[in-house]
Amino acid sequence: MNNFEKKRKAVQKKWNALKNSGVPLIYLGTASCGIAAGAMDVLESIRKILKENRSKAKIIRVGCIGPCYLEPLMDIEMPGQPRISYANVDPKLAGKIVKAHLLKGKPPGQHAVGHFGEGNGKGTEGIPRFFDLPMLKPQARVVLRNCGFIDPEEIDHYIANDGYAGIMKAFEMGSEAVLAEVREAGIRGRGGAGFPTYKKWEICRIQKAKEKYLICNADEGDPGAFMNRSLIEGDPHAVLEGMLIAAYAIGATQGYIYIRAEYPLAIARLKKAITQMQKYGFLGKNIQGSGFDFDIKIKEGAGAFVCGEETALISSIEGKRGMSRARPPFPAVAGLYSKPTIINNVETLGTLPNILRNGASWYKRFGTKGSCGTKTFSLVGKAKRSGLIEVPLGTKLKTIIFDIGGGSLKPFKAVQTGGPSGGCLSEKFLNTPVEYESLAAAGSIMGSGGLIVVDEDTCMVDLARYFINFCAEESCGKCTPCRVGVNQMLIILNRICEGNGMQGDIELLERIGKTVKATSLCGLGQTAPNPVLSTIRQFRKEYEMHIRDKRCPASVCQDLFLSPCQNTCPVGMDVPGYVSLIATGQFEEAIRVGRETNPFLSVCGRICDHPCMSKCRRNELDDPVAIRSLKRFIGDYAREKNISSGIWVSPETQPEKVAIIGSGPSGLSCAYFLARLGYPVTVYERLPVAGGMLAVGIPEYRLPKDILESEIQLIRDLGVKIQTRTTVGRDITIRDLLAQDYKAIYAAVGMYGDRALRVPGEEANQVLQGVDFLTDVNLGKKVQVGQNVAIIGGGNTAVDAARTVLRLGAKKATIVYRRTREEMPAFEDEIQESYEEGIDMVFLAAPTRIILGEEGQVTGMECIRMRLGDYDNQGRRMPVPIEGDLFTLDVDTVIPAIGEFADVRDLFIDMDVATNKNGTIAVDDEGQTNIPGIFAGGDVSIGAATVIKAISAGERAAVAIDRYLRGDLNRHYPWRVRSRSPVSFDPSAEPVDYPIVSPKLLSVTKRRKGFVEVQTGMSVRIAKKEAERCLRCDYQEESE
Amino acid sequence: MTRKALSGIFSKFKGEEGDLIPILQSVQEKDGYISEDAVEHVARFLKISENQIYGVATFYSQFRFTEPGRNCIKICMGTACHVRGGRSLGVTLEKELGISPGETTEDKRFDLQRVACLGCCALSPVIQINKDIYSRMTVMRLRKILERYE
Repeated sequence: MNNFEKKRKAVQKKWNALKNSGVPLIYLGTASCGIAAGAMDVLESIRKILKENRSKAKIIRVGCIGPCYLEPLMDIEMPGQPRISYANVDPKLAGKIVKAHLLKGKPPGQHAVGHFGEGNGKGTEGIPRFFDLPMLKPQARVVLRNCGFIDPEEIDHYIANDGYAGIMKAFEMGSEAVLAEVREAGIRGRGGAGFPTYKKWEICRIQKAKEKYLICNADEGDPGAFMNRSLIEGDPHAVLEGMLIAAYAIGATQGYIYIRAEYPLAIARLKKAITQMQKYGFLGKNIQGSGFDFDIKIKEGAGAFVCGEETALISSIEGKRGMSRARPPFPAVAGLYSKPTIINNVETLGTLPNILRNGASWYKRFGTKGSCGTKTFSLVGKAKRSGLIEVPLGTKLKTIIFDIGGGSLKPFKAVQTGGPSGGCLSEKFLNTPVEYESLAAAGSIMGSGGLIVVDEDTCMVDLARYFINFCAEESCGKCTPCRVGVNQMLIILNRICEGNGMQGDIELLERIGKTVKATSLCGLGQTAPNPVLSTIRQFRKEYEMHIRDKRCPASVCQDLFLSPCQNTCPVGMDVPGYVSLIATGQFEEAIRVGRETNPFLSVCGRICDHPCMSKCRRNELDDPVAIRSLKRFIGDYAREKNISSGIWVSPETQPEKVAIIGSGPSGLSCAYFLARLGYPVTVYERLPVAGGMLAVGIPEYRLPKDILESEIQLIRDLGVKIQTRTTVGRDITIRDLLAQDYKAIYAAVGMYGDRALRVPGEEANQVLQGVDFLTDVNLGKKVQVGQNVAIIGGGNTAVDAARTVLRLGAKKATIVYRRTREEMPAFEDEIQESYEEGIDMVFLAAPTRIILGEEGQVTGMECIRMRLGDYDNQGRRMPVPIEGDLFTLDVDTVIPAIGEFADVRDLFIDMDVATNKNGTIAVDDEGQTNIPGIFAGGDVSIGAATVIKAISAGERAAVAIDRYLRGDLNRHYPWRVRSRSPVSFDPSAEPVDYPIVSPKLLSVTKRRKGFVEVQTGMSVRIAKKEAERCLRCDYQEESE
Repeated sequence: MTRKALSGIFSKFKGEEGDLIPILQSVQEKDGYISEDAVEHVARFLKISENQIYGVATFYSQFRFTEPGRNCIKICMGTACHVRGGRSLGVTLEKELGISPGETTEDKRFDLQRVACLGCCALSPVIQINKDIYSRMTVMRLRKILERYE
């Protein structure tokens, strides 16, 4: 043993010499991720520039340091200075950075992502500490400690960093003490099952046999998991040393590494490392004089996921088909060639040297009582910051997904853990600590460590199908439950995704799934149904939509929709239809197509939140098609040229009168469709004008009143009567309406009650509630605002109020929002235009009291600063007041716009209408309340939502009312039929290559003068040009 | 493969049952696939039936029994790749080449395989052509990348 210590000292000297040699060091990540991102080209570029400048700098090729999304990563360490890391480096940028940092001594901070020094020394100004980065801070790199810091192909690097100290200590302790230490450390198998490692070892240890085997399971087959690969590529000796320790503890004589053939780089690094091990006397007979003999052979897998299961793995090594065997006997008793065999996962083995070196109590400081230590995970899918991470067990899912992973770009939907054996966890489970037991209780498993984040663009039914398809292909076929059962589940899921789902399919999947789980021979079959069962449990509605409605809300299952834009639109507007007609100049037809599903073309063309554009496939090329602007174009064109619609109208009239309460978008939409179906409709409106929020909530400069009025007139032209200045519940009750022979009622009164701030001083006259303020301005009332106005809130109402205030003559408008800019719910272009108009925004602040003067007038507003705290279940960080951090704003007017609420008690005077906890009206999917004949929709039942959702609710209610009155659930509605646009399309033509047209805006000076519309529409020429950008996703080739 | 080359492979092994898969892997590494001829010789070397060899070889997806193309395209069908558009990438590739996974183009330029997971999940979607791995793939880059291969 003395020899080795001598060797270690020598190697450490060399390592220190390398680090302090006065020669610059360049670290380059060349594990598979780095290489896949282009690191080899970067390496060439670095070599070239070093040669050209005759630099003595040394290049160290390292493994994966974690943030794969930043690869290629190139780090430069100048003598005496901290190492600085640069991200997303391409060959050109590499040259630039090397020139600046290495040759000129000036690190280009704008490309740097972090440094590895202590504190903020010279040369690191403005560059954060790498391990303080949000992605790295919550991590604890134990197993991965060397990855990114040493060259995995240099055993000397490993030894210089306490390599092989673990096994040397083990030799001193003796094998029994080693097992005791591992028991004390509480480490559980990291392959997925989480079985206490020492227990398996104990069983094997007591077996009396001349030969025992230790197998390292490196058949990391879970799609989406690559942690084991990264460890082997970045620090192979850690795994090999772990094998020595395990083999020593159980008395094994021969070791195998069973590794997937799909990991050629890992295999190469292992082979090299093993050769080095032999040279240094860590393999062979009497290792380091301990009396322990051991050798390692590498066996490559041949592409069978099931061979990750231990008995199938053993079969494969024996040269047979990878089929599982029944247990008992367990491999620890009779495994490979019927000898006692222990199979341990790569990560489990890689952890052992740390446990032996530092002791079990050190290890137990990480993690929780039942789940000790740390775990590596591959955080992938839609996570913003994807990569390889290692956290103490017990870390909450939301910390991993949002703090480390940065959340997802689009709203978070679920995280899939445990690969094909695991389950999907929705946002309800974000507070779950990542431990073996808690994940199982939540309906998933830890698995090998794959964490796949999915968002609204992922279909959960399709994801379940993906996993069951995978298991069906990988099933070894030996036992009937798996071979037949899993395949049957696949057949059912395929049917569902193709639009042939049947009533009872969900229950059938559950039944088959439970049987397969209970009766399969091995872990593959026993866990294959998990993704299906967990998605059914958490996303049952999505399954029901596929089966009953033949709809895929995520726009993934291609057989269930034509184009994602139309599929996502709440009213299903035929976007490719009217866009393609615009492209070919057929504007009248485009108008007709548009109005078939939505009377408000000009309105929505200005103010819709356009979910269609976020799903537009053109996004993948450059920008989405400017669908909203195109809709405005045809709406405005129709008004300009006085084009009548030609929309479908029923040839029959119906006798039953229908009353609609509220002339907002929902009420008017319902009236529109009912009138087309032939019903006499009267709309009762409490305000003096029709339009609801469209008329009084949205300012003139966004939606001119005459534009709105012309589209409301279209609805009147269909025979709809709108009676204004009539409040139902006060001037007339619902019972009165029913007595007047109305056979159905649609309540769409919206949500217009302002939420109170609940701070002292709120009662002052100069505090104007947001919605009330906008309503008064829009109704033409004279509204007094001061010179210096504070607006509280971050949604569209707040922004509208702020911009209105400036146009009314105030000198200054300041928005005060309790969260940050990124989290403001208001439309992005509104926020942008606000900045241009000179509106100030104060973030992370909330009012504590309104300061009043002698006459009770507002003189100021005291606010408290906030910081962002923990994540809530929607992935938003909750603002937390910072005690004592107060400041005062000099204002003379305050406009709170922090949300709305509904109060329908007056509306339903002495009627027992069911409401939800938050005061909204309870309805089923079609809008029916608990009272037959009374329907509700829009904000009053969904909660504060969008205009297009309100319009959609109105259409659904019209259909529900028609079916109710006709007593027939099978009636059909022509505007609901989806078909391909008749405009021809050449699929082999290249798409036009210009980006989205930029909207033309009024100049800021002109804007602040009054309420002239800010965004101008497109000309005919530009509209046609923009429409040609559409990729015509509705075009589907006829199959032969 | 010549007799000489085969003997070269056999010389590295003892002739035990457990050598079957590594031998087949070496054969495929040299030839690109497992030919009937090779199976005959392996059967003789290991003293097992050809039937048994096919029984094992067909179990594992790595082994192919038809001549490969000059360039081998592997498209990753892992979960991370699937969730980031792997499926449309695969469909486009199939259309572009005119073949399905497991087949070779008529001019033998490309053959196509689906692979369960290449392990570059953080940079999905991923495809591999010969030894080159392409990450963060998009459909738009496909044609240009294919042009690089003869």
